[in-house]
Amino acid sequence: MSGIRSLSQLIFLMVFALSISCLWIPAQGVAAQADEAGLTQDGKVLNPGTDLWRAVRQRDGMPPMADTPTKGMDSNILINTYGEDWRQFRMDQLIPKAGMLIGGVLALIIVFHLIKGGLEIEGGRSGKYLLRFREFDRVLHWTVALIFIFLALTGLILLGGRSLLIPLIGKEAFSVIASASKEGHNLFGPLFIVGVIALFVRFISKNFLGKGDLGWILKAGGMFGGKHPTAGFFNMGEKIWFWMIIIVGLIVSATGLVLEFSFLGGDRELMELAMALHGIGATLLIVGAFGHIYMGVAGMKGSLESMTTGYVDLNWARQHHDQWAVQCEQEGKVLDKKPGVPAEVKAESAPGNPVTTR
Amino acid sequence: MITEFIDGPLWYFSLLVFVVGVIWRLFSIFSAGSKKDLSEARESGVPGAIGSVFGRFFVKKEIAPQIRLQVVAGYLFHLGLFALLFFAAPHVAFLETELLGFGWPSMPYWAFIVSAQLAFLGLLMLWLHRLLNPVTRLISSTDDHAAAILIFVVMLTGCLALLESYSELRVLHRFTVELLLIYFPFSRLMHAITFIPSRAYTGAWFGRRGVHS
Repeated sequence: MSGIRSLSQLIFLMVFALSISCLWIPAQGVAAQADEAGLTQDGKVLNPGTDLWRAVRQRDGMPPMADTPTKGMDSNILINTYGEDWRQFRMDQLIPKAGMLIGGVLALIIVFHLIKGGLEIEGGRSGKYLLRFREFDRVLHWTVALIFIFLALTGLILLGGRSLLIPLIGKEAFSVIASASKEGHNLFGPLFIVGVIALFVRFISKNFLGKGDLGWILKAGGMFGGKHPTAGFFNMGEKIWFWMIIIVGLIVSATGLVLEFSFLGGDRELMELAMALHGIGATLLIVGAFGHIYMGVAGMKGSLESMTTGYVDLNWARQHHDQWAVQCEQEGKVLDKKPGVPAEVKAESAPGNPVTTR
Repeated sequence: MITEFIDGPLWYFSLLVFVVGVIWRLFSIFSAGSKKDLSEARESGVPGAIGSVFGRFFVKKEIAPQIRLQVVAGYLFHLGLFALLFFAAPHVAFLETELLGFGWPSMPYWAFIVSAQLAFLGLLMLWLHRLLNPVTRLISSTDDHAAAILIFVVMLTGCLALLESYSELRVLHRFTVELLLIYFPFSRLMHAITFIPSRAYTGAWFGRRGVHS
């Protein structure tokens, strides 16, 4: 019995000694490096732990000190300090600044509307109409708009939800919402790309620089008084929004694909760059959309109907797109009434009518 | 508590309403009958019925340019939804374990995602067409909009629960499915079943008169 106990003690001591020696070997190597470096200028002995941790954290551009048979991204990195830098950028720079920009632009629009109010149609409604957007254009616009709104909401939850929603709904509920947002965001993202490409193909011909566009910019679209600057089918503000959707939208789309298909081999730095560009680009699109929605719904009266019925009042067109209005008048495209279902048919088809109620 | 209710009694209740409701609707349609056709038939109605059931999957070229959007969006939505409903892996597993006792091969994850994206795109465009076209807007009732929104919500909750990490999301999806099952027999969604007898009846009616519609 005592022999077995002695044997087990011996094995334990051997294993313990082996473990200690394993720990000692790298430490000895680092100590040797410290010895080579000598003393500090003020005569103090260098702390070997300092060099060890400098090597572990790869300070001063040191190569990774770990070696492993496992092959994969960052598999030989013991502590990723770059990831911490990125985390700090995301938490201390990206999220607060994106929040300030979105909140600031929203506040500016509200203040602007309270001071200036919506722009009325000069001369009132004429009762004559011009076809501005065909049905396909309107379906395309609203499809992209709805997808964008969904992506913006889910994206904002993913970006700032931790600080905004957790205090309100708690961590467990937020984790459910965040998971759902991620799935929804990834699902609808590719549809946004299809939508942006379709917008590009459909509207590019009307969005090149044209006569009066620079003047429109210099007069800020006539926002601050004076005569309304001349414009064609799209004014310069709309053209800037178009190109912003295309360029920033494609950057956001490309970076979104990098993030969604991370398993295809993007390294950490690429992923972090993609996430930063994705967040910044999406924030710019969101604040741009605020301006676009404001101008369409409340900023310029008579604008929204171009995207609902497809027709605009002739006086509205003369006020905001005078070159296009003149062209339509010359080509005889002015309509005396808005085409659609006649009023008498509408009355017959109204809910409650015994003839048509099913 | 709510989870047990949704997974248990409400599921069986919605299934019962769906089955009984569909049978009742079909019975009421077929038992209504039709006026006896006293004219001498020029030809049998059977070829006309079969021709209409299958032929109307194809668009007549005379009207194709006017309805291109509805045709493309319609096929995107219906094919995408069909694939999701019957070939999504979670659905196949559910049908096998909870309802049928047998299953069939499911589609891979990437095909699920593509099917969902096509179905969402098609449904959005169809619903927007319904709203933005003056004629379809006029003839659309609350039922049409409710059906479109309900289908959208069911598809959305299903896709949001795709990670299968949170039972709350799965339960939410199941709850919306149960609402859909209860709503289905009493809504325009019945066209998913009645389109076959409807086409066949019209095709036979024309066929007896020698008209190939």
